[in-house]
Amino acid sequence: MAKPTARIVAIQFGFGVGVLAILLRAAQVQIVQGDRWGREAVRQRTERAVLEARRGALYDRNGIPLAITQEYYHVGVAPIELSDIRRTFVLLVRSLGVPAPALDREFQDRKRWIYLHGPFTAMQVQALRSVKGVYLTGEYQRFYPARDLARPVIGSLAPDRAVGSEGLERSLDSVLTGRPGEAVLLKDRAGRRYDSPARVVRDPIPGNDVLLTLDAELQEIAERGLDEALSAMRAAGGDIVFLDPTTGELLALASRQRQGGRVPRASTFTDPFEPGSTAKLFTAAALLAHDKVKDSDAVTGENGVWQMPVNSAGRTRKISDAHATHGPLTLARAIQVSSNIAMAKFSSSLRPEEQYEMLRDFGFGTPTGGEFPSESRGRLARPDRWQPMYTRASLAMGYEFGVTPVQLAAAYGAIANDGILLSPALVREVRDPHGKVLYRHRPEPVRRVVSSEIAARLREFLRGAVGEGGTGEQAQLVNYSLLGKTGTAVRFEDGHYVQGEYTASFAALFPADHPQLVVIVKIDNPKGSYYGGLTAAPVTRMMLQQALASHRVAIDRARLVARDTAPPLSPERSVAPRERPVVLAWPFTALQPSEYPLPVPPVTGRSVREAARTLHRRGFRVVLRGFGEVVRTSPSAGELARPGTAVTVWAE
Amino acid sequence: MAWLLLFLCVLLAVTARQAEGFRVARRVRDLRDERAALEARRAELERRIRAGASRQVLVPKVERTLGLHEPADTEFVLFTVPHSGQGTP
Repeated sequence: MAKPTARIVAIQFGFGVGVLAILLRAAQVQIVQGDRWGREAVRQRTERAVLEARRGALYDRNGIPLAITQEYYHVGVAPIELSDIRRTFVLLVRSLGVPAPALDREFQDRKRWIYLHGPFTAMQVQALRSVKGVYLTGEYQRFYPARDLARPVIGSLAPDRAVGSEGLERSLDSVLTGRPGEAVLLKDRAGRRYDSPARVVRDPIPGNDVLLTLDAELQEIAERGLDEALSAMRAAGGDIVFLDPTTGELLALASRQRQGGRVPRASTFTDPFEPGSTAKLFTAAALLAHDKVKDSDAVTGENGVWQMPVNSAGRTRKISDAHATHGPLTLARAIQVSSNIAMAKFSSSLRPEEQYEMLRDFGFGTPTGGEFPSESRGRLARPDRWQPMYTRASLAMGYEFGVTPVQLAAAYGAIANDGILLSPALVREVRDPHGKVLYRHRPEPVRRVVSSEIAARLREFLRGAVGEGGTGEQAQLVNYSLLGKTGTAVRFEDGHYVQGEYTASFAALFPADHPQLVVIVKIDNPKGSYYGGLTAAPVTRMMLQQALASHRVAIDRARLVARDTAPPLSPERSVAPRERPVVLAWPFTALQPSEYPLPVPPVTGRSVREAARTLHRRGFRVVLRGFGEVVRTSPSAGELARPGTAVTVWAE
Repeated sequence: MAWLLLFLCVLLAVTARQAEGFRVARRVRDLRDERAALEARRAELERRIRAGASRQVLVPKVERTLGLHEPADTEFVLFTVPHSGQGTP
């Protein structure tokens, strides 16, 4: 046994070592590992949370919300923590609308945690926020207030995350997505969070809002018109496009397919079809641009059936017209009666390159460049892949190439827009979260396709096609005139033509003078009457009537002019004289004088007084030859003349 | 003694400030929740108004109950309002 002094020294030494160890450890913890333990302490007391950024909204051109982001909640209940189970049960049933028996079963099973997925709106869960034992988990979700309106175009988000997966939600994802924020939340020892606004590290920045070019009212008219048409015609599907030819803005896009999911495909962009006779105008444009046809040139209609020679070996191809035509057909008349035979004959004077380039210039065979993702380019083969005689005639009749309804609308827009092709647009404005405009759409010219003179002549061809004796007469309104062309094509599916199935279409410019709307109506495989003039054309008329009657549709009514020459109407469409309203311009003024040539209006058969008034309103001077009923004019009806030109009127 | 009093005062001030911070945070959270609830209500009302005023709902209803119909272009009159001045639409 050691002496006491030695023991004391040993104990002191032991204490000394202990103190030294503590000091060393303290130095290690505080100095060497200080930062690490500091971070650990912060981690235990605080929690970094990502603050989700609200996704930008989509509006129509007038500010009607089409897609917005809202906070939704899932509800968790811990029955053991509830102070009044009965009261909470009633509150849950009343506020959330969950079925009472099902919720009662959950409580009866004495579960420790009841989860109600919902999702529930902030309004629904408001009364539950202060209830102890009820836990809310919030998240942003996309909400479409107008339900299915324009949904194929708007698209949707991925089911598991707030990223656009289809349609404009996808293509505009980078614009709509905001930047997430970050916050530090304080926790107590039990891990419960305290809100602490002073600890927000970075505020979330909401995404930008986008104003689309779509007009919700016109969209509804288009969708309803299409639904009714498909139902009445028992058709397989269809598309409708409204486009503003002066800006290229797409105003309405409706698509329907009988087969498929609840939300149809945006087939206006994705599904090319063979346009049939609506494409005859583009071959006519090539003929005029290359000066291959004169006004007086005519071909025979072969009484509706023609065996076209396709090679030197005597092989022929049968081409037929739906309505046999007699006598010579000029180019204008061929368009008016939609003669396949005449167009095939006229097109033989075109070189394949000339025809191809014109179709290409009108935008066929290439995407329009709009904002919609996965847009089809259509189908247009290069001339070196053609069977020269065969393909040239097919293209003149609107076969052997595919166009999307939007491409067709843009091409007709070029005709309305004096020959300048504009890129179709779906985005009108982009605004940041504070309302500052970041982007505003301006018309984007792609190219000049034809001269303004040729565009005017093409419009005159269209005037004939919806006039008396034209295939599109059924589209014509009574008080306002439009231009248009019908199309009926055998359906091309899976690489071959399906006999007995047709695509009926109609392309219109409204109004006839200074068009404000391009309308494309396409009906897939209508049952019964299948001609475009009997199916798509009346749908166009009905929609235009609704658009005119609705004060919310953006048509510049001040620029509408009541038609000068109402065509003779079939009895069921005519209006009794006492019901016919008078459209008044007050005070009465002549139409806006134009420096551009205008077509001379047809006044044959009218009284001298009426004819003079019509010509004066267009800005022409009148030289009278005789009295009574007008028999002819010079320049004749349809010819272009500058305002101020003297028009000689012969009457008997 | 004075040091102790000073220490207690500072302690009280810090505690009160923190308590006030939490109170304000709760108030901000409540207001944010209330705003979210009101926005949800507004969106729901807008949806219902939009649905109620849509052609899909309205047109069949007025056709059935009032005997009205979509007008043809012969059944309405557009009056051209004269321009008020040069360059003014």
